[in-house]
Amino acid sequence: MTDWALDTPYLLWGLPLMLLPLWRLPLRPAPCSWHALLPVDTASRAVDLSLRLAGAGAILALLLGSAGLHRREYTVERTGYGAHMVLLLDRSRSMDDSFAGRTPTGGEESKSAAAERLLSGFVSSGRNDLVGVAAFSTSPLFVLPLTDNKAAVLAAVHAMKLPGLAQTHVSKGLAMALSYFGDDSSAGSRIVLLVSDGAAEVDPDSELKLRRWFKEKGIRLYWIFLRTAGSHGIFETPDNPEDDNAQARPERYLHLFFSSLGIPYRAYEAEDADALERAIADVDREEQRPLRYAERVPRRDLQAFCYLAAALALAWLVAAKGMEVAR
Amino acid sequence: MSIWRQRVADPVFAGLIVALLLAVAACFPLRLVLERSVFSHIVVVDITRSMNVEDYRRGARAVSRLEFVRQSLIGAVADLPCGSAVGVGVFTEREPALLFEPIETCAGFSAISAAIEQLDWRMAWAADSLIAAGLHNTLDLLGRGDADVIFVTDGHEAPPLNPRYRPDFSDLRGKVRGLIVGVGGLSLSPIPKYDESGRRSGVYGEDEVPQRSSFGLSELPPEQIEGYHARNAPFGSERAGGTEHLSQLKEGYLRQLAEAAGLGYHRLESPEGLGRALTAPALARRQRIATDVRWIPAALALAVLMAVYLRVLLPRPGFSTSN
Repeated sequence: MTDWALDTPYLLWGLPLMLLPLWRLPLRPAPCSWHALLPVDTASRAVDLSLRLAGAGAILALLLGSAGLHRREYTVERTGYGAHMVLLLDRSRSMDDSFAGRTPTGGEESKSAAAERLLSGFVSSGRNDLVGVAAFSTSPLFVLPLTDNKAAVLAAVHAMKLPGLAQTHVSKGLAMALSYFGDDSSAGSRIVLLVSDGAAEVDPDSELKLRRWFKEKGIRLYWIFLRTAGSHGIFETPDNPEDDNAQARPERYLHLFFSSLGIPYRAYEAEDADALERAIADVDREEQRPLRYAERVPRRDLQAFCYLAAALALAWLVAAKGMEVAR
Repeated sequence: MSIWRQRVADPVFAGLIVALLLAVAACFPLRLVLERSVFSHIVVVDITRSMNVEDYRRGARAVSRLEFVRQSLIGAVADLPCGSAVGVGVFTEREPALLFEPIETCAGFSAISAAIEQLDWRMAWAADSLIAAGLHNTLDLLGRGDADVIFVTDGHEAPPLNPRYRPDFSDLRGKVRGLIVGVGGLSLSPIPKYDESGRRSGVYGEDEVPQRSSFGLSELPPEQIEGYHARNAPFGSERAGGTEHLSQLKEGYLRQLAEAAGLGYHRLESPEGLGRALTAPALARRQRIATDVRWIPAALALAVLMAVYLRVLLPRPGFSTSN
């Protein structure tokens, strides 16, 4: 019974009113000279009792109904397709440029706008993911915890449209994203989806920490690298060996770092919105694993039942009253 | 008189019939379109260093401005009527960062409160605190939509603002709606210093923060500046002393900014006060929703039924047991 509730419980102060119909019947007392003369009649007793209960029941039902009796919303566990996923979004200033590396003009779309549009579609598709959102620029930003509230996740993805902040400090962002997952790695597949247009060197301290966490928490990592035209790709080996270091090619070294983690990892290089769309579709396909998730069963209003019960009880009273012997 | 007339003339019978009809009516869906007040806020919280000043108290414990803001905001969000929406952003330097657009507060409460819980000075991507410029940018970026902007700050400009370069709010006046929430105590308090890993390491000293603006040109004419040199010392050679390493709520300044931008002002003193400020009628929006009003016939049925039973209690005129 604990899942039943009232909207305005103070109406229950009216419950003592139920005593009134139990005490008096709304019927005219039939005169008789001496009660003891009347035979004990079980049927009459039963009718008498039923009318008293009907009166009390009608009052109870009307009170419960107007107090808004309902069954609370509850959750049931179901199995669907999806994952526990943290979207780690780059909010650095360069995300506001187009894929060509300029301030978007006319019909051009900035990288952040393209990511916002396509991620929105991904989030609102029929998946049953539990999604959290984290963002980073120079510092990590905690945005939303893992939630099944799609409207909330969309609201967080939409916030990407606003101007970016500063630089790309990816290791702090990764640490923040990993902190969303507890140590128990049994609950479904865990994904970090990193969307960024650049990278930065991972300092040795964070490197050790990240290495351990990725392993311990059993994370699957996807990196969608929004490559600006003319910039270095993540799969490219520099022609000049002098450039082959983390300062000159942070993207390539971040990719090498991720590859060396020994976790399931995939990188995509998106040079335009279509490539980004294909990358997101690929993640969607890859991550179709069964996931146990909680589905909300919305609250169920029970007022109608209360009023129906009250109407039946009152109908019985009306019938009895209507059969009263007229004098 | 027919038997029916006689029956219906009996107030008890008539009452029972009326109660029955009302109860039957209540069984059917009955909705009225009513207007109710909802709110839509984008709360932008200052997360610069001065927000770490511990000049609020909860019980016997001193708590930082930011912690008090977090607690108060969560309480205030919980108090908003369902259908309201809250978005959260943070502010540092001169730019706001929106974490998420407004989310409905009843379905999204756990997400919103978790996000507020995590607001932390370590989210700051820059250390400056240019309040007026930040307010201007915030209103410009976020204030033109449907939501009211709630700008939560202590008003402590760091480095101090050169009065010559005050942002002009006249372009925004009347186009944005919202509230500045002033945070902090009115007396000067030291600003705690934290190291990279979040450990506390004393407080800021007088010579650790800029005590005056050194941006652009001084507001004073050069002849009034001690040791003025156009290139090497445009603000004079005198050592600047002051109280910029201490922080207090700059209420006068914030009121002035609120006035300039056409916003309201509220000083954060208690979570309940913030809750009231965020549900002020001036910020309400009307939302038309179909409301279930079956309780009205039900309540009437109950009233009639009670009247019937009370009538039964009364001595009946013309009734006598001797008959």
